[in-house]
Amino acid sequence: MTRILVPLAILKGESVSAGLTTLLEPMNVTVLGYHVLPEQTPPDQARLQYEERATDALEDLATEFGAADGTADYRLVFTHDRKQTFDRVAAETKSDVYAIPGATGPIDRLLVALTGDVAVQRIVSFVGELVGERDIGVTLFLATDDGPGGRELLETAAVPLANRGIDVQTELAVGEPPLEALADAAVDHDAIVMGERAPSLRTLVFGEDAERVAAESVGPVLVVRNVEESDESNKRADRAAAMKDS
Amino acid sequence: MGDPSPPVEGSNIEGESPQIEPTVETDEASITDEAELERTLGLSGGLAIGIGTMIGAGIFVFPGLAAGRAGPAAAASFAIGAVVALLVALPASELATAMPKSGGGYYFISRGLGTLAGAVVGLSLWFGLVFATAFYLVGFGYYAVDTLAELGLAVGGELVIPLALLFGAGFTVLNVTGTENAAKLQNGIVALLLSILVVFLGYGGLDAAGLVGEPTAPEQFAPLGTMPILTTAALVFTSYLGFAQVATVAGEMKDPGRNLPLAMVGSVLVVGVLYVATIFIATSAFGSEQLSQFGETAMVEVGRHYLGAVGAFAIVFGGLLATMSSANASVLSTSRAIYAVSKDALLPRGASRINLRYGTPHVALGLAGGPILVLTATGRVELLAEVASFLHLIMYGLICVALIALRRNEPEWYDPDFRVPGYPVVPALGAIASFALIGFMQPASQFVGIGIMIATAGWYLYYARDVNLKGAL
Repeated sequence: MTRILVPLAILKGESVSAGLTTLLEPMNVTVLGYHVLPEQTPPDQARLQYEERATDALEDLATEFGAADGTADYRLVFTHDRKQTFDRVAAETKSDVYAIPGATGPIDRLLVALTGDVAVQRIVSFVGELVGERDIGVTLFLATDDGPGGRELLETAAVPLANRGIDVQTELAVGEPPLEALADAAVDHDAIVMGERAPSLRTLVFGEDAERVAAESVGPVLVVRNVEESDESNKRADRAAAMKDS
Repeated sequence: MGDPSPPVEGSNIEGESPQIEPTVETDEASITDEAELERTLGLSGGLAIGIGTMIGAGIFVFPGLAAGRAGPAAAASFAIGAVVALLVALPASELATAMPKSGGGYYFISRGLGTLAGAVVGLSLWFGLVFATAFYLVGFGYYAVDTLAELGLAVGGELVIPLALLFGAGFTVLNVTGTENAAKLQNGIVALLLSILVVFLGYGGLDAAGLVGEPTAPEQFAPLGTMPILTTAALVFTSYLGFAQVATVAGEMKDPGRNLPLAMVGSVLVVGVLYVATIFIATSAFGSEQLSQFGETAMVEVGRHYLGAVGAFAIVFGGLLATMSSANASVLSTSRAIYAVSKDALLPRGASRINLRYGTPHVALGLAGGPILVLTATGRVELLAEVASFLHLIMYGLICVALIALRRNEPEWYDPDFRVPGYPVVPALGAIASFALIGFMQPASQFVGIGIMIATAGWYLYYARDVNLKGAL
C-alpha cells in the first residue's frame, strides 16, 4: 500500500483536520513531526528541551491515523533545513505521497490535477487506492494548450476509476495559466491531489507549485512525489538503513 | 558507534546528571531513541566557519603588530603558527570523526581524559572564545573608524571601543532574535573576502617580486633575531583559532567522516598560505617599522600603496566584513561550548535553555555576550589575543594527549573514519608544540590564563565533582 508522509511543524501547533485524518485513515501514514531551528541552536539542544512534548503530541496523532492497526507511525526530527528533512524521511520511509495538511471538514469530492511531472497513471492508481470503496467523488483536472489531446487524456485516465465504481467527472482548462485555473477549480472540492514538479527557476522564485496551491485553496493537498528524481536519495536511504541494521 | 556505552554516573550539586543517550550516527542524521537530528552543514559550510573565524585576525589586525615585533620574519611566525595548527588539526579531525558531536574539543577531552580535564577545557573554552571574540570586536572597531575616515569622516581613535561595544551588543541581540538563516550570508562573505585577497595578493605579489611597480630596497629578514619570531608566533596564533570551531558543529555536519577532516585541515591550509603571503607582501611595501606605526589597520596603507584609493577601500571594506564574520562565528561557537558543558551537568541546565519564540539559546548567548562586552571595553588587543590563544592552546595540547590516550587503549566505541597519519609522532609533536607556544607569551597573558584555569578547576571541585564523563558517549 502507498505510504503517505504527513509533515507537521509540531511545536508550532500545526495539526491535521478531522477530514484529512478520515481520508488518510485506511492508508499507511508516517507523521513527520519537525521543528526548524535557527543556526544559532544545535538541534540536539532543542531535542533535550522539547522532545517529550513533541512525542506526546505525535503519539496522539499517529493513533488517530490508525497506529493501533499498524498502518501509522511517526518520526520526530529537529533540523535547520525543512526541505532536506522531508526528502530524507520520504525516501527512508518509501513514501510516494506527502500531504500539506490545510483545513477541511468531511471530504466528499477530490480534485485530482494531472498536470505536473508525475506519470498520470501513478496519480490515478493512487487516487483509486485512496478512495477505495468509500463514497468520495473525483474530479480529474487538466490544464493544457492542446484541447483535443487533453480531452483524450482525461477520458483515458477516468476509465480505471469509473471501473472501480467511483463517481468521476472531468474538467479541462485550455490556454489558461495552469495554477490559477487549478485554484479556481478547487473551489467546489474539499482536497486536492497533484503531482510534484521538478524544481525550476520559477519554483525558486515563487515557491513550489503544491505549496502555492495549498495556500490558495486552504484545503489539504496530497502531492504524489516525483520518484525518478529521488532515486539517488532512495539509494542513500537504503545505505543509511543498512548501516542502522548492522 | 551505536554500541551500549558505559552508564553515566554521578550528578552535580543541584542533582542534575549528564544527559547522555545512545545515538546512531548516519551520514545524514543522528538518531536517538525518540528523535532524529538532521545534519545540514556541508563541506562549504564547514570551511566557511573555519576560514570565516580565522581570516579576520590574521590578515586584517596582526600584520602591523607582528611586523613591529619580528620584522619581515613575521611571515615565519605565521608559518610556525600554521604548522602548530596543522599538527593539532589532524588529531582533532580523527577525534571529531570518532565523536561527531556538538562541543568539539571539550567533548573529546572529557570522554578521553575524564571530567576534571574536560571541565577545565570546556569552561576555559568558553572564556577563550570570549577573549577571542572581544579581540575580533576591537579589531572591528579600528576598521570601523578607518571606514569613516575613508568616507571623509575623520573621527578620533577614541571611538574604536564605543563602536566595538555597540556592534558586540548588536551581534548578541541579533543572534537571540534573528531567525533568518545567516549561514548562506556567511558563505558569501567568506567567498567575497577570499576573492578580494587573491586579487590583492596577486597584484602585490607581482609588485613585490619586482615585476611591476617601483623596486624597493630589501630589508634584513630577521632584524631582531630569532626569539621575537617565536614570541610573535605565540601572539599571532589567535589567527588560527577557527579550525577547532568547526568541531563544535560536528553534530550538524553531513557525512562527518569526510567533511570534518577536510574542513578543519583545509581551512588551516588556506588561511596559512594567505597569512604568509600577506605578511610577505605587507613587509615588501613598507619597512616593518613603518608598518608597525600604522598599527591595527596597517593593511589599509598596504592596500593604498599597491592599488591606490581603490586598494585602501577594498581592504577597509574587507576588514570590516572579516572582523564581523570572525566575531559572529565566535559568538555562535561560544554558545555551543556553553551548551556542551551544561548538557553534561558541569553548568546549571538552565544555561542551555532555548526560547520557543525565536528558538534561540538566549541564556547561553547572554553568557557569551556579557563577558565579551566587558573584555572589549578594556581594548587591550595583544592581551585579549594572547589569553584567547593560551586557553585554546591548552585545549589543543590536551586534544593531542586525549588522542594518544584513546589510541593506546582503544575502547570498543572508538571507531574513527579518519586516522591521523604519522601516529604517534604527529599528535606528540602537536601536544609539545601547543604547550611550548604558551611559554613564549607575555607574563601577563600567562598569568590571566592560568588564573582562569584554576578558577574552572575550582568550579569543577565545588559544583560537579561527582560527575563522571570518561567514555560516556
